[in-house]
Amino acid sequence: MSSETTLAGPRRLLGFLARGCAILALGALAACSTANAPAGDAAANDPIEPFNRYIFEVNRFGDEFMGKPLATLYRQTVPDPARNSVANAVSNLRLPWTAVNDVLQGQFGRAGDALARFGLNSTFGVLGLFDMAKENGLPHHDEDFGQTLATWGFGGDPYLMLPIFGPSSPRDTVGLVADRFLDPVTVIALDGDIFSMGNAFTWTRTGVAFVSGRERTLEGIAELERGQDYYAAIRSAYRQRRASDIRNQDSDATIGPRFRFGVDTD
Amino acid sequence: MTTVFSRRAGASLALAALAAAILPRGAGASARNANDAGSFVSTLAQDAIDQLSAPNLSEGERDARFRKLFAEGFDVPLIARFVLGRYWRQASEAERAEYLRLFDELVVQTYARRFNEFNTARLRVLSVSRPNEDNDVIVAVEGTVAGKPPVRLDVRVRQGSSAYKVIDVSIEGVSMAVTQRDEFSSVIQRGGGRIEALLASLRDKVGAR
Repeated sequence: MSSETTLAGPRRLLGFLARGCAILALGALAACSTANAPAGDAAANDPIEPFNRYIFEVNRFGDEFMGKPLATLYRQTVPDPARNSVANAVSNLRLPWTAVNDVLQGQFGRAGDALARFGLNSTFGVLGLFDMAKENGLPHHDEDFGQTLATWGFGGDPYLMLPIFGPSSPRDTVGLVADRFLDPVTVIALDGDIFSMGNAFTWTRTGVAFVSGRERTLEGIAELERGQDYYAAIRSAYRQRRASDIRNQDSDATIGPRFRFGVDTD
Repeated sequence: MTTVFSRRAGASLALAALAAAILPRGAGASARNANDAGSFVSTLAQDAIDQLSAPNLSEGERDARFRKLFAEGFDVPLIARFVLGRYWRQASEAERAEYLRLFDELVVQTYARRFNEFNTARLRVLSVSRPNEDNDVIVAVEGTVAGKPPVRLDVRVRQGSSAYKVIDVSIEGVSMAVTQRDEFSSVIQRGGGRIEALLASLRDKVGAR
């Protein structure tokens, strides 16, 4: 939205560099905290569990009063095909950033796929509302900066429950910050003004992505909530899901069972 | 935005596949290779859906049918032991017996009641992996509920001496057995390392019907 077209380019570049530095600094932080992780329960790797559980309860309260009601209202008022289109548009907007991460992970073929999807769906798919690419043999995939850090060797411990954003780790927190500020769609929308809070498009996009995502996970999360320990179930599911995303493997059917289904003998 | 499950995750399909527990009709001891594991899952998943989503089914009848399907299609005692992890060894005979009984009841109660949700579910076997050293194969399944995007499930099938048994279902990379094991282990640890803490929680859950 800048009228000073001569300044927009350099300003955007500066903003980009500033963000890059901030993210590198956070990355170093993540590396430190991984190296110095206190020895807690080896399996859970959750040294600040009591604090995390507290944040989890606060988030859960917010979800009860905001997340679930909004997602339920959205489901009740917007018909299936329209909701699918919204979800398509949301995931379409992530594709340029997915492509950047594909490149950072050395996955050039996948980066090409992501860009081809973006081009096809943004045009013939009417701003991403219809997934034309999938029907033409280009299935969806999603990469974020946390996954990129993982392929660079950063581990996903210890567990961290973030206010509002939910399950995470130092690595994935750095990833979230990068996802927010370096996503090309956001950079372009904010026109280089990184600390701008008033960008209607970016806020709308964030809000729609949240409600659409929560609607899609209503049953899945409710399933975990019904169990014996909701917090532990979310922690376990989050970690497994991240590991699966990092592996870029849709199914274990190609490689066979990933772990042995063993039981302790007496 | 990092969510636990992808936007495609649909629990009802997870349940459908869990119920992919199946009558071992036809898939007998004679023929057992990868393709059979696939057809074991597909034909019998449909069976489960047909039987359990039948209209006018009383709650008691639904539970009974599910119990039968589950016992035949799943290796319940093996799953129960896997889920208890290292605590199985430290459990007394009485604790083990009660745990097995409660686990069985928990699964029946959790899943049997929700079958009317997915009478429109369709499952399609995509591929079957090669067996590992335990003779486990992963059957990749695509589940579709009308109006929703498809969900990918990995059904883990063990080829025992006499029949196929489902031992785990993963939805979008999240194994139900591993999640439940982590959950149970947390309950026990928070209860001071006593298995009784888990048993109390399960009794509570199963008793409150």
